[in-house]
Amino acid sequence: MPRDSPPRDSPVDPRGPRFSAWITTAVLAAVLLTGSWRLLAAQAVLFGLCAFVSLRLNPWGHLYRFAVQPRIRPTAEREEAAPLRFAQGVGFAFALVGTVGYATGLTALGVVATSAALVAALLNAALGLCLGCEVYLLLRRFTPVLARPQ
Amino acid sequence: MVGVWALVASVVVVAVVGITRHLRDGRVRTRDEEDVVELPEPVRALLDPTTPVTLVQLSTTFCAPCRHTRVVLADLAARTEGLRHVELDVTNLPDVVAGMGVRRAPTTVALDVRGTELLRVSGVPKRDALLTALRPFLPVPNG
Repeated sequence: MPRDSPPRDSPVDPRGPRFSAWITTAVLAAVLLTGSWRLLAAQAVLFGLCAFVSLRLNPWGHLYRFAVQPRIRPTAEREEAAPLRFAQGVGFAFALVGTVGYATGLTALGVVATSAALVAALLNAALGLCLGCEVYLLLRRFTPVLARPQ
Repeated sequence: MVGVWALVASVVVVAVVGITRHLRDGRVRTRDEEDVVELPEPVRALLDPTTPVTLVQLSTTFCAPCRHTRVVLADLAARTEGLRHVELDVTNLPDVVAGMGVRRAPTTVALDVRGTELLRVSGVPKRDALLTALRPFLPVPNG
């Protein structure tokens, strides 16, 4: 998804994305409780900025760096940014569909799309499970097009 | 109201996934099937004729637990006689994934010098359980 976007983000401390995922979880839970398409649209914009422009535009990432990272033990672990941006792109798609659902009165669509995004965000936050990681091998296996290195 | 139920359902889904993974992750499995699988060439190339057991860690780019697994296995191999650890990124090697019957990253496969599969572990291996399971295949420490 972010393949053709020129600016490449440098690898990140993997605890940052999990911190962000907790906040994303809270936002998406609030969307489910309020049914506010505006809030979901804001989340979609955030997903989109991270996926298609740069992860550095994520405000929670800055909050993590300034408020959390200095207080916890340093780690040499680094995670590639590309998969994270891919995941943000998936989140963007779900948030966009959900926004359209809520805004046009197709509440069921909004609820389903938001719930799906919420499950993914909570899996990431609580379990450190990146769905892309688990699904990726299957995708490669059954989609010959993806299997070819670009 | 629908939103509340959707929220509850989402949390339940995540909890179930978490519990299932906790139960399954890192468990040592021996291969059920009796049929000998043809080892894919990229995996066979990693074997070392002088080391009794090679742990081949199959990883992907999109994978956080692969890093933890690498740390655990590299340390275990460094401290254990007759054991080595190699990592193979199979992101662009779907044939290897299919050939090894792997569905998750990371999956670690223990192979002997001839490339026979001894056991395998999905997820981050539990160090002690893995070492216990490998013990019969490793040289007896002398002294």
